[in-house]
Amino acid sequence: MSNSVPSHEADLSTKPAVTGSPHPPLTLSQPEAEGGLLRMSDSDAALVARTLGGDLSAFAALMARYRDKFGRYAFHMLGNREDAQEALQDSFVRAYRALGACRQPERFGAWLFRILVNRCRTVRRRLQRDRQFDGDLPDDVPSNGARPDSFEWRDEIGLALDQLRPHYREAFLLRYVEGLDYAEMSEMTGAKEPALRMRVKRASDQLRELLRDVHAG
Amino acid sequence: MPADHDDRLPDALLQRVVAELKQPVRLDPAVDHRALEEIRAESSGWHASANGHRWGVWIASAAVAAGLLVAVVFRIDQPSTAAAPAVAEVRLEDGAAKPVHLRLEAPASSKVAVVGDFNDWDPVATPLHLTEKGGVWTVELQLKPGRYHYTFLIDGRRWERDPSEPPAPGSDFGAPVSVLTVI
Repeated sequence: MSNSVPSHEADLSTKPAVTGSPHPPLTLSQPEAEGGLLRMSDSDAALVARTLGGDLSAFAALMARYRDKFGRYAFHMLGNREDAQEALQDSFVRAYRALGACRQPERFGAWLFRILVNRCRTVRRRLQRDRQFDGDLPDDVPSNGARPDSFEWRDEIGLALDQLRPHYREAFLLRYVEGLDYAEMSEMTGAKEPALRMRVKRASDQLRELLRDVHAG
Repeated sequence: MPADHDDRLPDALLQRVVAELKQPVRLDPAVDHRALEEIRAESSGWHASANGHRWGVWIASAAVAAGLLVAVVFRIDQPSTAAAPAVAEVRLEDGAAKPVHLRLEAPASSKVAVVGDFNDWDPVATPLHLTEKGGVWTVELQLKPGRYHYTFLIDGRRWERDPSEPPAPGSDFGAPVSVLTVI
């Protein structure tokens, strides 16, 4: 635990350093700059402790650490960048509000991811509802900026994912893309392991069926 | 963990899918900035002491708890005095899922489904069944405590909210929607 500044409302660029020296200028895109007070090597637990002590720049470092890592899940779960960013932003704010309840700060990432999974479920329900009333499929197909020659294949994957039931899609992404085991998935989603295994199997079967022709071509 | 059918990616197709999905996705770093702005805005109403965060959480939690207490007391003391409830209510004694019956008279319809927060607005997940009384469709749901927006989908193309329950206040869903609160 570091010495903490007296208020967590202080401006990031002017907050006193924990050592008493001026805090190095801190931009949101480089909160983890080596040599500064916030380093990539800082543990999650240390950053959580500093955040609880009032150092908001430590929380900025945590967000920068997990933004893209978890953003990928939100992106594939929700099907577009804007909703993914909204879900992620909301998850960050909720995590900050509840940070005192994070009982294992060394596992902050898993805790934050659980919040994000729940937020994605909520946003997904809203999207599903809106889509039902709109009566058509979304125009926006996930695009992660890969090479143009993979556009078609990537778009097909996005469309196929979009056709999966949300729980199937969630299970498939958690298992194979995020690499969680079933015990972790159960902890994350609240579903029993046999149900999760079935969801993964059905998602795999449906994706295989939906993408077989594209893959063969 | 024992290996089983879904612990492996046996075919090239799914391996290719997963490889594509594992590609990095870059989100706008402004997400962090916006989150910080929101946190700062909320924090400005909290104590600015070194323990401000914890106090803020405690105060917010206490306020929520007090609000819930007031709401519970109000509902217990005045169960029937309100001119019209804001939402339909089903009272439960615990947090377990309990049966909720929905009913719709739609004599000229060939099929009716209910879509809502409880089934991800899936138009085929929860069909209603035609009863022996002509034109009356019913279904029993198992719902946990919570607040659910829902509506009926008639013949796969027409939305109709549950006429026996109040509409969703301030609904902006673009279609008639009812609200069911299970407590």
